[in-house]
Amino acid sequence: MLATPVRRAHVRVLLHGAYRGFAGGARDVTLDAATLREALEALVRAHPSLAERLRDEHGRLRAHLSLFVNQEDARFVGGEDATLADGDIVHVIPALSGG
Amino acid sequence: MAKQVVLLVGTKKGLYQVRSDADRKKWTVDGPHEAPAPIHHATYDPRDGSMYAAINSTWGGSRIQYSRDLGKTWQTSKNPAFPEGSDRTFFQTWHIEPGHAKTPNILWAGTEPAALWKSEDRGETWQLNKALDDQPSRAKWVPGFGGMGLHSIAIDADEPNKLQVGISVGGVYTSTDGGASWVQDNAQTGGKEDRPDVFYCIHKLLAHPKTSGVRFMRVHVDVFWREPGETAWRNRTEGLPSTFGFAAAMHPRDRSVAYVIPLDDTKRTASPPGIGVYSTNDRGATWTRNDRGLPPGAALESVREGMDTDLLDPLGVYFGTANGDVWASRDEGKSWERAAQYLPYVTSVHAATID
Repeated sequence: MLATPVRRAHVRVLLHGAYRGFAGGARDVTLDAATLREALEALVRAHPSLAERLRDEHGRLRAHLSLFVNQEDARFVGGEDATLADGDIVHVIPALSGG
Repeated sequence: MAKQVVLLVGTKKGLYQVRSDADRKKWTVDGPHEAPAPIHHATYDPRDGSMYAAINSTWGGSRIQYSRDLGKTWQTSKNPAFPEGSDRTFFQTWHIEPGHAKTPNILWAGTEPAALWKSEDRGETWQLNKALDDQPSRAKWVPGFGGMGLHSIAIDADEPNKLQVGISVGGVYTSTDGGASWVQDNAQTGGKEDRPDVFYCIHKLLAHPKTSGVRFMRVHVDVFWREPGETAWRNRTEGLPSTFGFAAAMHPRDRSVAYVIPLDDTKRTASPPGIGVYSTNDRGATWTRNDRGLPPGAALESVREGMDTDLLDPLGVYFGTANGDVWASRDEGKSWERAAQYLPYVTSVHAATID
């Protein structure tokens, strides 16, 4: 029996602050992803230089990194399992830190 | 082409380049690069003209960068990475050491958590030195006040397979086979017996770049010297105003000359009577205070990577301070002029002598 194809949403990922520099100056990437995790994977495929800036060598998301889906902090809408819908905007933000 | 001196100055908020010609009378400041990332160390590789910098950023994690065009543009290395299943994660880089002239393309890096990394491709990728990592004595390493890092990589002047590393707090390890195996190397003569732990808190270990077997070591308490063929560290602290400090340098030609900046053990700023660079010309048997030109009585501070020399004659000696100054001597450390000021907290100074 064939597996049911996963419906992937068409979303924009906006890179903020230092993450633009890590991606060679890119400000946004349009991609297809069903979840936030898939969006990050697709983002790294588009900009491989982001791989080690987003995750450590064990695959954990780095500290001082904030991810939002639209206006919601991703930690409160499922984390990396957060589902995405067409038109969603994923924000990759250097967390407010320092002072 | 006339020689120039480029000071790679790491600060708590970015990397600066402080440049002068061979006269070393007038300095210009460029930077910062990668602010606000703290830069624990930056270095110049005279073998091929590359520069390397330890970018210890919270945003995006720490990374090593290299430049092939004297700092105009920088590329990012593939991160040092602890193997899958390790309970440790690369946190930051404390020191980058170009390899021996006989081993082109090889560099070494020391990190926190304390580990030694080798690059065989001019700093583009880094591999963990497993032999050191597998030392059973690693279980006894503990963090110092600044963390638990490997910060000193001392390569012998003649034999690239002979190298030592210094760890805070883990002591000295020596390899005679290029890092394939290691032995602890902490025998001392004249050291403190009442606090054995402080001997293992290495602050800076240096190999003389021209004379095989000569080593100088700044430890949490006391300074030590080792001559060719010796197997113990000789305490050479007598004559210094305190037993504590971080910054240390060796004369690149005269194998009997070294420099330190003593600090007060509790305040962690310059020992009374204020900032001064102490030099020895007899392998630590006696020490001379040098403070001409330095602010009298100032309680300045210079940290682990804070001092270096150029390769010119007479020798230039340099140190940075926590209040953002870089001081320069162009007469072998006897007198001092300010080369830069109002920088962020200076964490490292490396003097590149460039043709």
